[in-house]
Amino acid sequence: MAAPKLPPLPAGKGVWDDHAISRRGFLEAILGVLAAIGALLVAVPGVRFLIGNSLESSATKWVELGKVADLPTAAVTQVNYSTRATDAWREVTQRGTVYVSSADGGATFTALDGTCTHLGCIVQWNEGEGNFICPCHSGRFTRAGEVISGPPPHRMRQLAVKVQNGTLLAEI
Amino acid sequence: MNRIFQWIDERTGLSGPVRDFLNYPVPKYVHRNFLYTLGGMTLISFLIQVVTGILLAFYYDPSTEGAYNSVDYISYQLPLGWLVRGLHHYGSSAMVILVSLHMLRTYYFSAYKKPRELNWLTGVLLFFLVLSFGFTGYLLPWDQKGYWATKVGTEIAGSVPLIGGFLLRIMRGGANLGQATLTRFYAGHILLLPASVAVLIVAHIFQLRFHGMAPAITEKAKAQSKTFVPFFPHWAITDTAVGLGLLALLVFMTWANHAPLEFPADPTSNSYVPRPEWYFLFYFQLLKYFPGVLEPIATIVIPLFLFGSMVLLPFIDTGEERRPWHKPITTLVSIFYIIVIVVFTILAMAAYA
Repeated sequence: MAAPKLPPLPAGKGVWDDHAISRRGFLEAILGVLAAIGALLVAVPGVRFLIGNSLESSATKWVELGKVADLPTAAVTQVNYSTRATDAWREVTQRGTVYVSSADGGATFTALDGTCTHLGCIVQWNEGEGNFICPCHSGRFTRAGEVISGPPPHRMRQLAVKVQNGTLLAEI
Repeated sequence: MNRIFQWIDERTGLSGPVRDFLNYPVPKYVHRNFLYTLGGMTLISFLIQVVTGILLAFYYDPSTEGAYNSVDYISYQLPLGWLVRGLHHYGSSAMVILVSLHMLRTYYFSAYKKPRELNWLTGVLLFFLVLSFGFTGYLLPWDQKGYWATKVGTEIAGSVPLIGGFLLRIMRGGANLGQATLTRFYAGHILLLPASVAVLIVAHIFQLRFHGMAPAITEKAKAQSKTFVPFFPHWAITDTAVGLGLLALLVFMTWANHAPLEFPADPTSNSYVPRPEWYFLFYFQLLKYFPGVLEPIATIVIPLFLFGSMVLLPFIDTGEERRPWHKPITTLVSIFYIIVIVVFTILAMAAYA
């Protein structure tokens, strides 16, 4: 591709170096390649740096929900757990809400993550109606966590549970 | 004094471009018409945000453990902290209002038409960047409002089909809302967004100067379109006076009602109803009408359609006609959108009240 002709320099300024100008098209192409390499050298590591560890799956952990003997067996109990956790570079107290219930009088327990599957608000247990309701967009779930109505796309997340030394633990 | 200017000019060559900039001829029909101050007012509100933002950054602590206390300190213990934070708080709303009005003025005067398509596009990008400022800004106090509005806002991005999970994690800097999220939002809010907005504003003003004001649409204005006043001081004084009025209004609003700070973020709160800033309320109301599998319509289809139609507008409406009363389609479409936004905002306010 022929390089576009340069405009003449102002009178008295001087002249273009014709010898150098004859290689202008070649130099422009090389410059383009060098600039593209430079841009990629900045952009690729830059994007990787920005993504950082965002996509890493966080390890699950077991948190204590309370002594089995203390948990009501007939009702749905809201448990706000707190546990030490690493948040990026910071050691923090991670807190969350779990709803614990038992369908067989305390022999086994079900733990539901209190986070609404719609947009992440914490649902409330409505004892009168026997269902969970989300204060944000009125999504409703059954006691077992199935969607009844509203915008939630799927059921509440059921957490694995185990009893250890008389304490109920859930895997978050 | 003259010798100093001369000395500087000989070494910088700035006097020519500066003189050209200041002597720019502004058509008489534009001068002293309030509708034409909206762009300048948006710029002034941006400058207010820059100045107050820089001041706030001297005290703000961008950590999940310190953010709330630092904002509380700024608001209640720091001399004039209430004023600086209040100006920043109300200034953000002013910027959203002004940029919207500026766009509406451009829309109704058909100022997006050839050859000003790129100026419209930089304006559309600026509009979305202003909204991004709002979204990244209200997380920073790490109070209930910021925490929950951001949680819901990032979940909305997370519900986008196919790439939602990726988007959510990129926005949060991980699976959960935490320190990485706050740092990301802070860096975006104080570095990336201001730099992007500044570059686009320069491009926007450069294009405005290159093409000049869009043609007048009324007969009265057309009659004045061949008479000009210089930008400086005639036009600049109008912008400055209205800008001072804006600043006075913001100071008054801050004085009458200090910027709110809710309780510290509590991830276990099950009674807190997240409530975004008023300018996002209509969108939250819209989400309610698309439950379950229909949700992507509200989270991706409608926003993309709106953004796409804004981008394509100057390439679709290519006719010569510029008078809104002779352009029923564009005029009615905009009125429809305005009514929807106003009604949804009122419905959302009523629901939260």
